[in-house]
Amino acid sequence: MNTTTLAPAPDPSSAAAPLAACAPWTCPFCSLLCDGFGLQDGDPPQLLGSDCPRATKALAAFARPAAPVTPSIDGAPATLEATLDAAAARLAGARQPLFGGLATDVAGMRQLYRLANACGAILDHAHGDALMHALRPLQDRGQMFTTLAEIRTRADLVVCFGTDASNYPEFFRRCAPTANSELQRRTVFVSTVPPAQAIEGSSVETVTGQGDLFDTAATLAALVEQRRVSRPAPELAELADALRAARYAVLVWEPAQLPAHGALIGETLLRLVMSLNRSTRAGMFALGGLDGAQTANAAMTWLSGLPLRSRVGPRGLEHQPLQYATGRLLAGDEVDLLLWVASFGPNLPPPPTGVPRIVLGHPTQAPHCAEKGTIFIPVATPGVNASGHLLRADGVVALPLHAIRDDGLPGVADVARALDARLALVAEDAR
Amino acid sequence: MSTIRLRGGQVYDPTNGIDGELRDIGIRDGRIVELHPQEKVDHDYDLAGCVVMAGGIDLHTHIGGGKVNLARMLLPEDHRARRERDNLLELASGGCCTPGTLQTGYRYAEMGYTAAFEPAMLAANARQAHMEMGDTPILDHGAYVMLGNEEVFLEMLARGEDFERIRDYVGWSINASKAMGVKVVNPGGISAFKFNQRKLDVDENHVHWQVTPRRVVHTLARALRELGVPHPLHIHASNLGVAGNIESTLATIDALEGLPGHLTHIQFHAYGTEGPKKFSSATRQLIEKLKAAPNVSIDVGQIIFGQTVTASGDTMRQLANADLGSPRKYVGGDIECDAGCGVVPFRYREQSYVNALQWAIGLEIFLRMDDPWRVVLTTDHPNGGPFTSYPHLIKLLMDKSFRDEQLARLHPDVAAMADLREIGRELSLYDIAIMTRAGPAKLLGLTDRGQLGVGAAADIAVYREQADREAMFATPEYVFKDGTLVARRGRLEAVPTGGTHFVEPDYDPAIEKTLERHYREHMSIDWRHARISKDELCSCSNHGSLLPCKLHGGGRT
Repeated sequence: MNTTTLAPAPDPSSAAAPLAACAPWTCPFCSLLCDGFGLQDGDPPQLLGSDCPRATKALAAFARPAAPVTPSIDGAPATLEATLDAAAARLAGARQPLFGGLATDVAGMRQLYRLANACGAILDHAHGDALMHALRPLQDRGQMFTTLAEIRTRADLVVCFGTDASNYPEFFRRCAPTANSELQRRTVFVSTVPPAQAIEGSSVETVTGQGDLFDTAATLAALVEQRRVSRPAPELAELADALRAARYAVLVWEPAQLPAHGALIGETLLRLVMSLNRSTRAGMFALGGLDGAQTANAAMTWLSGLPLRSRVGPRGLEHQPLQYATGRLLAGDEVDLLLWVASFGPNLPPPPTGVPRIVLGHPTQAPHCAEKGTIFIPVATPGVNASGHLLRADGVVALPLHAIRDDGLPGVADVARALDARLALVAEDAR
Repeated sequence: MSTIRLRGGQVYDPTNGIDGELRDIGIRDGRIVELHPQEKVDHDYDLAGCVVMAGGIDLHTHIGGGKVNLARMLLPEDHRARRERDNLLELASGGCCTPGTLQTGYRYAEMGYTAAFEPAMLAANARQAHMEMGDTPILDHGAYVMLGNEEVFLEMLARGEDFERIRDYVGWSINASKAMGVKVVNPGGISAFKFNQRKLDVDENHVHWQVTPRRVVHTLARALRELGVPHPLHIHASNLGVAGNIESTLATIDALEGLPGHLTHIQFHAYGTEGPKKFSSATRQLIEKLKAAPNVSIDVGQIIFGQTVTASGDTMRQLANADLGSPRKYVGGDIECDAGCGVVPFRYREQSYVNALQWAIGLEIFLRMDDPWRVVLTTDHPNGGPFTSYPHLIKLLMDKSFRDEQLARLHPDVAAMADLREIGRELSLYDIAIMTRAGPAKLLGLTDRGQLGVGAAADIAVYREQADREAMFATPEYVFKDGTLVARRGRLEAVPTGGTHFVEPDYDPAIEKTLERHYREHMSIDWRHARISKDELCSCSNHGSLLPCKLHGGGRT
C-alpha cells in the first residue's frame, strides 16, 4: 500500500506510464479530490499508487462501451440536436421544473443556473438531505471548520463521531501526520466501529455512545462544558477531558450518516467545538459533498446568494431547505418536469417518477432512461473525459480536473448552454 | 465597435488635473480618443448638466472567495427581501450585505463602479476567489493574496532564511495565485491563533515561530518593493477593533521604515483608551503620523448603521468578537497551514457609544487627511457596511449640514463630544473623484484606468448634477464599461464579463524546490496544483480578459 500523498514520478521508460503524466490527476469520485495518484491508460483506466476501493469501483464504469451510447427520446435513439430540441420543448412547456442530481462541476453549475433562470426551476442535489444536515446548523449557528493540511500538521486528537469514514477511503491517509512529526495523535471512534486496518500515525480507540447519536452528542457536549451530567459513561467523560486537554482537537462527522433531524446533531457538535475554542483550539471536519454536492451548493450560493433547495421564481429566489427536497417534491407532484444531472458515474440514476425526465447522465445510465417520458443525453465526466473544477469537502480548496481522454461526449455545461440558447429562441418567438 | 461622443459634460479627471471643465469626450473601440468636433459619431450624448468621471474603482471590497460565500450561507435572512425580475439581462441574485456575485456586479455597475478588488484571497482558495470574481459581471477585478501567516513563510523567517529567498517566495506566490498584490492580515496572528495565542502585539513574538509582526510587515513590504509590485503591501494591522490599538497602528507604520504600505480599513485601527468608557478616537494621532509618512496610504472602512456582516481572515480577532455578533452566529476556520477565516454578523447601532464613535472616527479620518490621493473611500464591504451605501457616505462627506443631522441622532456622548462637530470641511467633487477612482488607480498601478485621458479605457460614469449627492451618486445617468453602455439611470443595458487584473513579478525559480518539499511534507494537494496557469485563470474567471499589470521599474533588480 502506497502511503505517500505524492503522485508517482512519471517514468517515460515504463510501459505503465501514467496517462496524466503532464499533470497530476485529480480524482473526482469523492470530495477529498485526491491528486496524489496516477492513472494508467486501460479499458477501464487503472489507479496507480492507491487501492482506494471507491475510485477503483468508479473507474470500472469507464470501460469503453462496445458501441457508442447515443442520446435517446422516450427510449428511441436520436441525434444530439433532435434530443436537445425535444428537451428544450419540454422545458419550455414545464410550469415548475426541478433540476435534481446536480452531480456536475463548476462549469456545469454556472450554465445550469442560467438555464434555471430561463425556466424558473427549483434546484436540489441528489445528496440534498445530507447537505441540509450540514447547512442548517450553519444557517442557525455557524461553523467552526478545519482543513486537511491543518489536521495533518496540528491535530493531536481526532474524534470520529458516528462515522468510520469508509465512504472516504483515503481520509485517514490524507490527514496522517508527516513522518517526522512529533504529534502523538489519538483517533477515537464514537458510536461506531473503527476501520479494520491501522490508522497511520495514530492510536485508535473506541468509545461506545450513551444512548443514540443525539443523546451521545448532547452528553459529550455537556461534559465538555463541564455541566452536571447524571451518571455519564466513564469513557465519554474521559473523552471530554481529553478534548479539553488537547492542543488541537478535530471532530469528524458525516452528515449523510445521520438520521432524520441530523442537523440537530451537527448543531450540538458545533456547540461543543465552540465551547472548546474558549480555552483551547479545535475544529470540525464534515465528510460530505459527494458527487459534486459541495461544488453545486457553493456555486449556486455565490451566483444567487442563496444555497441549494432554492427556486428561481418570478419574484426572485426562494429558499426552502425542507420543502424543496427532491423526494418530497416528486412524491407530492409539486413539479411537472425533472432535469436530472449525474455526470460522475452509474450511481445516482434518476429517481423513478411519473413526471417527464430529462437526464444528463453518465453513459451507463442509459438503461435507466429508456422509458417513455424520458430524454437521455450522455455527458462527459469531469476528471475522466472532460476537464473541469470541483470544490473539496472542506469547502476551501478547489482543484482542476484533467481529462485523460476524449470520448466525444458533451459536458453538462455544453448541454445546458445549448438548451438555454433554444429556450431563448422560444421566448423570442413568444414575444 | 462604435464611436461615441459625450458632449459638454462637466469633467472631473484628477489624474489629468481637470477640475470641472466643460469638455467633450470621445470613445472608439473601448478607448478614449480625441475626436474632431465635426467628426461623425454613432452615438452622441448631450451631457449638459451632467458630471463626468472615470468609472469607480473599489480597491478593498470582499466580493469573492470562501469566506464571502460562507457569509452568504450564514445569512439566508439577508436574502428575504426580493424584487421583481423585470430586466431580462439580470439573472436572479439577491442580498444586501452578502450579495450574490451577480447582484454584486449589477449593483456596483449601476452605481458607476467599473472595477473592484478582493483584498483577502487565500492562496489555498485562489481558484474559488477567481471563479466568484469571474461570476461578478461587468466589473474588472483582481485580488491580493494573503501572505504573512503561512507556515512556510513564518518558518523561513524563523530560521533566518536569506531575504532574497523570501522575496522569491513572495514573487512565486503572487504568480501562482494570479494576484494583483499582497495583503497581510494580523501579521503572524492568524497562525499564532492556531497555537492558541489570543493576542499578538507588533513587537510580541509568535508563540511558536518566535517572529514578530514587525518583521513580517517589513519583510513583505520590502519584498514587494524589490519585486516592483505597484500596489504597496496591503496591511490589516494587529489588534483590529481593540481599544488602544492606535499604538499597534503607529508601530506598524514605523515597521515599514519608509517602504510603501497601504493601511486598510484604518477606522478599525484608530482607537484610544481615553474617557469614561476607555474607548476614544485616536484620529489626531493617526493623522499626525500619516502627514509625516508619505509612504503610507489608507482606506477608511467607514461604518454604516444597520445590519451587515464582518468577514475577515483575522480569526484571532473575529473569534474574540463572536459574542458581540448580531444575529448571534459565527463561522471560523483554520485553513491549510495558510490562513483562516472568521465571519461575524454585526448590526451597527446609532445608540451604541462604540458604534457611534466608530462612525465619527471614520468621517474624521476622511476629513482631516490633507492628501486625498492617499485616502480611498471604502466601507470595507461588507465589514463596515455594504458597498451600496457609498452614495450615502459621499453625501456625509460633501454636506456638512447633513452630517450634523446624522451626528445629532447618535449616542448622546458621541453627539456632544466628537471632534467631528468642529470639522467644517466639505469634500469637493474633485476630492471624491480622487478618492473613488484616480487615487485607487494610482495606488494599484492601473495607468489606463481611473482617468479620462486619451488612450485610457473608456470606463466612464456620468452623473446628473443634483444638490442631493446621495441621489446623484446612487443612480448615474450613464455608465460605460470599455466603451459599452452598461447602465442607464439605474437600469442595466448590457452585461459584459469583466477582466482580471494581475501582476507577474520575476523570481528565481530555485525557490520551487523548497516549496515542493513543503507541499509534500505539510500540505494536502500536489505541488503542481499550487499554481494557476493563465489558461486555468481564464476558465476560472469565466473567460474574461486577462489584464496583466505593468511592474514598477521593470521588476526585480
